[in-house]
Amino acid sequence: MKKVMVGNHAVAWGAQLARVEVIAAYPITPQTQVVEKLSEMCAVGSLPARFIKVESEHSAMAACIGASATGARTFTASSSHGLVYMHEMLHWAAGGRHPVVMADVNRALGPGWNIWTDQNDSLSQRDTGWVQLYCETNQEVLDTTIQAFRLAEAIDLPVMLMLDGFYLSHTAEAVDIPDQEMVDRFLPRRVARRTLDVNDPHAFGALVRPDSYMEMRWLQQEAMRQVPRVLESIEADWMRMFGRSYGAVESYRAEDAELLLVTSGTVTSTARFVVDQRRAKGERIGLVKVKMFRPFPTELLRAALAGVDKVAVLDRNISPGHGGIFAEELRAALYDLPAEDRPLIYGYVLGLGGRDITPAVIDEVIERTRQGAPSEREDLWVGVNP
Amino acid sequence: MPSNVAEHTGTRGIPPVAMSQTSTLVTRTGSWSAIRPVYHDRVAPCNQACPVGIDIEGYLNLLRLDRVDEALELLLAENPMPAVTGRVCHHPCENACNRRFLDGAVSIHAVERMMGALPRDGMFPVVPVATRDEHVAVVGSGPAGLACAYHLARLGYRVTVFEAAAQAGGMLRLGIPEYRLPRAVLDRDIERIQAQGVTIRYGARVGVDPGWRQLMSKFGAVCVATGAHTSRALGVKGEDLPGVTPGLAFLRDVNAGKRPDLGRKVVVVGGGNTAMDCARSALRLGASVTVAYRRTRDEMPAIDEEIDEAEHEGAELTFLANPVEFERTNGRVSGVVCERMALGEPDASGRRRPMPTGQCFTIAADTVLTAIGELSYLDGFPEDVTREGAGLPVDALGQTNRAALFAGGDVTDLERTVADALGAGKRAAVGIDRHLRAIAGDGHDGQDTDALRFGRGNISALRWMGRDPIGRVAPLNEVVGIDDLNLHHFAAVPRHADAHLESALKRAGFDEVNAGLTSAQAIAEARRCLNCGVCTQCDVCLIFCPDAAITHGADGAYEVALDYCKGCGICVAECPRGALTMTRDRP
Repeated sequence: MKKVMVGNHAVAWGAQLARVEVIAAYPITPQTQVVEKLSEMCAVGSLPARFIKVESEHSAMAACIGASATGARTFTASSSHGLVYMHEMLHWAAGGRHPVVMADVNRALGPGWNIWTDQNDSLSQRDTGWVQLYCETNQEVLDTTIQAFRLAEAIDLPVMLMLDGFYLSHTAEAVDIPDQEMVDRFLPRRVARRTLDVNDPHAFGALVRPDSYMEMRWLQQEAMRQVPRVLESIEADWMRMFGRSYGAVESYRAEDAELLLVTSGTVTSTARFVVDQRRAKGERIGLVKVKMFRPFPTELLRAALAGVDKVAVLDRNISPGHGGIFAEELRAALYDLPAEDRPLIYGYVLGLGGRDITPAVIDEVIERTRQGAPSEREDLWVGVNP
Repeated sequence: MPSNVAEHTGTRGIPPVAMSQTSTLVTRTGSWSAIRPVYHDRVAPCNQACPVGIDIEGYLNLLRLDRVDEALELLLAENPMPAVTGRVCHHPCENACNRRFLDGAVSIHAVERMMGALPRDGMFPVVPVATRDEHVAVVGSGPAGLACAYHLARLGYRVTVFEAAAQAGGMLRLGIPEYRLPRAVLDRDIERIQAQGVTIRYGARVGVDPGWRQLMSKFGAVCVATGAHTSRALGVKGEDLPGVTPGLAFLRDVNAGKRPDLGRKVVVVGGGNTAMDCARSALRLGASVTVAYRRTRDEMPAIDEEIDEAEHEGAELTFLANPVEFERTNGRVSGVVCERMALGEPDASGRRRPMPTGQCFTIAADTVLTAIGELSYLDGFPEDVTREGAGLPVDALGQTNRAALFAGGDVTDLERTVADALGAGKRAAVGIDRHLRAIAGDGHDGQDTDALRFGRGNISALRWMGRDPIGRVAPLNEVVGIDDLNLHHFAAVPRHADAHLESALKRAGFDEVNAGLTSAQAIAEARRCLNCGVCTQCDVCLIFCPDAAITHGADGAYEVALDYCKGCGICVAECPRGALTMTRDRP
């Protein structure tokens, strides 16, 4: 069944199809419709989940952790300041190995107060131990929400999926809603490895001394290392059952390219349009979409970018004092390539606080990359008039 | 398959999360504590306040659980006339209801009224078989006499009620106007009582035929419930003029279907319920009505709703007005001369005493209705029975100074309300049962009367019978106040207001003014009950216990695992209803 819906509703539909059992969430622009739709689904009974009203995002995540610890399939959604307010609890979710799934509607951080999109909210949660998946379309948002539960529950790690504020959250697109029975087959009920059990009580989150703490972190890292393989297998199942797949990294018209754009989120769609125009003119330009940011898909990116002359990374984010975050991580990932395969990397910072990234902006990026010296500086800002 | 991904564990068997490898059951945290929570139902304030002694919280709770038949049984175990009290009781239960501090008291009277219409098929419960040999006489068929007869019948006695009038009901029929209590409703509650096996002899004026001594020799025990039917005289000049009528006589006529000509202007003297009934009845006969009362509104003994209704219907209330003389014109009353009063110090009743000022004024009147109180009168009553002031003194179970003679209702000069009369009748029935059993050597006096009461309220017939209300475990006779409740657990739900006749229709006739609530609204009101002091198994304690030390026991009641209860008291603090207390008594 196809339905026209905004990205926020695609999130809610995904959560409902995944038969989440507990939701604890606090509304924030531009995520509010997710909370509204889910509470409505709970109220009318189409989603027989426990909806916990909370007074803050910190409590929302704390409630999710508690619910997940009992074995329940647990979901929340947030954005921007709400997400960074959760920061402490994000560590507890990951360190406690709770497979909570969260949708983050990417929104810039204040001040200046800003409700429009950029990725600094989620990227500043990079080291909390959550899997991060960035979506491009509302269909991908819905599909990824469902897949995220299977991924999270397979490896006992929390998963965060991102959608751009307004460009997806409030933009209506036709979305195919998968059949519930098929989703049930794809995603059976959660079977938790550990649950709170009043009849067999244990202490959770207690003191761990230096002789064991590192081992726990090592096990967490080992679980992270399994993600690319597990996600590939989940996507293969999804492809077989629903005929769609996305990939942790997707190459688009990258064959024989001299210059590849590296994108994430909705910018990718605009870049596809520019790539098509350039290809029509015979230019050897393609793009690589990075969906999975954590764990960082080092191997996949090496394979996708090895041998290309120039790579232009479009970062809708900034690590102040350093540069665009995708570009920095990419540089590190490709450093080990043989020198002849190692592309020149141009890191562009653009579109912060919701500034539009039009085809003309991407054309500018392409021309600067063709002409510019890579050593100019690590952060090449686009469209800034200070 | 990804769902079968093996969990990585190190060679040292360190778990992936900070989780104790052994069960924490080895840590008996309860050993740290000197105190523990105990489940103790307490008394809801409505139950204590009810002069009838109804387990109000109990039957509201059964309604909440959709156990309507059991709710009705519990109500009828204590109150034989729910359709009557649902309409005319002054509902002190609602004045005590803790919900009044939240969003309005539960509309208990409306729920009771709805219950009074049950069972809808009119099939009253099966007549109890008389199991005792003694025969008891009840004199008077007002609420006190009927309640006494009803409870005696349920206790297994044969009962005969002697009624001087041609119909049963006493003051309910003679005194209360139809617009407050339709006669079909009254008849049905009386039928319900008769269905218990109660015999009523009409036109039998005890003291004349049969005589008191004859009655007392023929019956094992006698209950006097003859009421107070004589209007008190004002004792002022002109009181014997044509047009000056005792209020009760007027009401008796109107309630018998007569429509006396009152003229245009009626003055009612008094501030009690009889005065309000006179005023509202006179309005319905087309007169303009002034009520003259010697104190102020705050001191009026009438039920607030009755005063409001009387004013709403157009009665004018004149306060601090004490009649000192009735004026005459053409051999008939034409005005009431009143002395203006001022309030002084409180008197014995706690109300401020009216003090004369010497200033007088006159209110024009075609008819004056006097309603300053009623006296009881007993024809040929035995001289050796102690009498005090206006009534018979009785003990806590209705016994006079003669062992086989009991009394209840207005004749005893206790509070003169329908509910108090019903409660007094029940006390007398229990007293008679105790007395007769003692004589028969079948003693049933082990329980002191305090154990039979709801708090300091009236006694419970079920407790006397040894059948405590459903779901109660050793109720403490402590009453739960608003501070004992945790209101965070209750959402606001506004009280449903009774439907009322339009004002114009009210004055047009004697149709019932208050239409009550629909069944659905009444059930919704029952669900508003906070169940003060009574565990409803809401699981709040179980959910909040940080040690998971509270579980459901085999019989559904909660069990506290004392090995793990640290005595933190969170369950007691969180209990919405004050049904948990801490004790230092640890086994």
